[in-house]
Amino acid sequence: MSDPKKKKTSSRINAFKVTQVIISILFLTFLAWRLYTVISSGVYGPDTWVRFAISGLIIGSVYAVIAIGYTLVYGILFMINFAHGEIMMLGAFSGYFVFEALKSIPVSSTGMSFLDSYQIISVILAFITGMFISAVSGYFLERIAYRPLRGAPRLIPLISAIGASIFLQNAAQVMFGPKRRTYYNPMSLARSQGWRIPIGGEEVILTYTGVLTFVLSILLLIGLYTLVMRTRYGRSMRAVAEDKQTAALMGINVDQIISNTFLISGALGGAAGVMWGIHNGIIYHYVGFIPGLKAFTAAVLGGIGNIPGAMVGGLLLGVVESVGPAALGLDFQLKDVIAFSILVLILIFRPSGIVGEVLSEEKV
Amino acid sequence: MKDLIKQGSRLGLIFGVVIIFLILFGLTTTLSDIIGEFVNIESRTRTGNTGGLMIIFVILGMWAGSRSTASDRSNWKASLVSGLSTSVVIALLVSALILLVGYLDSLDVSMRDYLAQLDHLSVQFLLFGRDLLGGVLWTFGIFVVSGVIGAMVSYWYEIKNVADAIQKRTIIWKGNALDSKLVKQFKEHPRSKWIGYGLLGLVVFLMPQFLGKYWNYAMGTVGIYVLMGLGLNIVVGLAGLLDLGYVAFFAIGAYTAGLLTSPAPITLQIGFWPVLILSIVFAAFAGILLGIPVLRMRGDYLAIVTLGFGEIIRVLIRSDMMAPYLGGPQGVRDIAGPSLFGLSLMSEKSYLYLIILGILLTILFTNYLQNSRVGRAWMAMREDETVAQAMGINTLYYKLMAFATGAAFAGLGGALFAARNQYTGPADHTLMVSINVLSLLIVGGMGSIPGVIIGAFVLKGLPEILRELDLYRLLVFGGLLVFMMIIRPEGIWPAPRRMMELHEDEGGGIPQEESLVGEEG
Repeated sequence: MSDPKKKKTSSRINAFKVTQVIISILFLTFLAWRLYTVISSGVYGPDTWVRFAISGLIIGSVYAVIAIGYTLVYGILFMINFAHGEIMMLGAFSGYFVFEALKSIPVSSTGMSFLDSYQIISVILAFITGMFISAVSGYFLERIAYRPLRGAPRLIPLISAIGASIFLQNAAQVMFGPKRRTYYNPMSLARSQGWRIPIGGEEVILTYTGVLTFVLSILLLIGLYTLVMRTRYGRSMRAVAEDKQTAALMGINVDQIISNTFLISGALGGAAGVMWGIHNGIIYHYVGFIPGLKAFTAAVLGGIGNIPGAMVGGLLLGVVESVGPAALGLDFQLKDVIAFSILVLILIFRPSGIVGEVLSEEKV
Repeated sequence: MKDLIKQGSRLGLIFGVVIIFLILFGLTTTLSDIIGEFVNIESRTRTGNTGGLMIIFVILGMWAGSRSTASDRSNWKASLVSGLSTSVVIALLVSALILLVGYLDSLDVSMRDYLAQLDHLSVQFLLFGRDLLGGVLWTFGIFVVSGVIGAMVSYWYEIKNVADAIQKRTIIWKGNALDSKLVKQFKEHPRSKWIGYGLLGLVVFLMPQFLGKYWNYAMGTVGIYVLMGLGLNIVVGLAGLLDLGYVAFFAIGAYTAGLLTSPAPITLQIGFWPVLILSIVFAAFAGILLGIPVLRMRGDYLAIVTLGFGEIIRVLIRSDMMAPYLGGPQGVRDIAGPSLFGLSLMSEKSYLYLIILGILLTILFTNYLQNSRVGRAWMAMREDETVAQAMGINTLYYKLMAFATGAAFAGLGGALFAARNQYTGPADHTLMVSINVLSLLIVGGMGSIPGVIIGAFVLKGLPEILRELDLYRLLVFGGLLVFMMIIRPEGIWPAPRRMMELHEDEGGGIPQEESLVGEEG
């Protein structure tokens, strides 16, 4: 290549980078100005901000659990498991059915239903069933819709995933009916009850369901992290993610690992579904779609393929989504716009996410 | 022997689970009605045609039975064993479900609240209108007998050979027909192509005259989807950029047409024709605007970002914040329609003509682009971006051009859609529209214009004909997408080049482990 041409290319790249920097500085200044006006106007007291942050952390922890499902599958197969939100929905329905079934069993010694007499057992049963059903659905999803397409051009498994997502949504609608259902929680997990914390003269309620959701999510995330990073099995998973061919030569059963990845990610999705039901209370056949999309955003935000990244991304997205509309003085209807704008901005300015992608260059 | 039983019962498990889901979806009821009507059986309970149900069960049982013998049809004993094990497993599963459901129903448990398709009447229907034990035994018997018959039939006729023979004969017949002198003469004559086009054009031109109002409306919807499909075909099929937020441009076209012609939120009330042009221009401009930051991303990220963009547009047009300008959840009413020389063109028929005209123009335009330098650049980019760049193609420029052209077609479709309904609102612009358009591309065949038209008819026209199956439309549609990707990823009428791409490994003898590894390029 001749010299003047080289010079031209490099200057063009610089121009692009400079514009990028200028635009982002302008954007950040605008955000800071907006934030300053809203806070100084004092529309919201400190208690409101705390309330937003708490609800953001709770929702964010659910996003994080779902996001791990996306990240695990993406890390190994480099495909977006579009139907993961629907797997979560199936988990939510399973938990609902367990609660309904236990509600109808009377216990003569206490004079109440099984659900209210043995609350801890009931909740555990709901989680186990939800995780099991979702894991099995995830497994069959991979066997039926993805495995025959391994090695096809990238677009094809994605379209198959979209098809599976539509199928599962409508299967749930046809089978369970289109109406919205309210989760009937055990007595002490009533959605209005919780610890009352006084902040700035007002009381902020920290609901029991929220605490359950948050603590359980964190436990699941820690458990998964140890599984992937500390065990022999996790090592083989990482090996498959790194290079399937070499992993196969090392005696790892690649198909088995991929199946198990779908089992694990399905189980996490199921747990997230039950948590969603217990905390938010209303489920219907479409309930998994938007959280699924948000969770994918979270996974990209943290750097796809990266497990701690998905956790950070989920929590961050939850908080931003719930604090953002208030902080920018916007309608609360627009929280989805904020979430998706973050996705677009992250992908434009830092496609590898906050924590960083775990993908080698040639895989990209 | 043990192996045969094991294999047979595994197949039975699959079939059994599928049949159980068919029952839970309520598809058995609908299908048996259709079949019962078709073969004219008059044995109805209050929900459905039990004769039809029996036919479905027998067909499924025979199918399973004949499939079970696939591994070994050498002697009748093996066939009998595998057929019997398959059919017994199916019969056990299905009759267990029916027993459970019937028992719960006899206890007056209201299952409808949990499983929407299982009310008292449909349970009675599943029991063939008999009592509990009779219905269950009846079902069990049907499956066992039909499964064994299926296995025996397949053993006797060796279905595989029959299928081969049929295939051979069709090939021979096809060859003969194509070889005959008359056809050859016709095919080679230079004017025959134009005669074909002329006939097609005549049919299309006369069609709206003979269809009723309802069908003109339905065909108009199909036509609008053809328009959008042609646009997305450029973006996805030719340039290889997966756009899941295509509805955004449709919405921009519809809202431009709506806001500028209706009296409601903004009083401008410009006439229809200039607004039609404006909505195309605005949509194309939006395409460029979205394209500039987004197009440097890799494939699936692009898909998600465009999806996010589509959702942003939908939430914005629904929000209260934008309601004073965009009409909010109520949408925009009283959108003006076209008129020509003082003649109002507001009937369904004239809209259909307008849409057909639009389709013709876009087809000509697409055809022109496809066979020009631009089209070749797009296809080169789709094949390999790096190589295309090395050949001196300005990829960013051509990607933007693809985005803008695709968006312009969607804008045209949106404007026509809004004008025809005289209304547009957020409910018209959901993610499902994008997915529908993408699916019609895939079903029809990506990158091919006749494929787009066939796809639109299959996905938008067929549901109009099969009204009974309306509830299952999306269900079938989702399954069809997956099925299509596995069986025939190139679509019904593929572009020849794309077909070669997808099947290049079939003759090439690529080593086995390649399929295990997947795509990493």
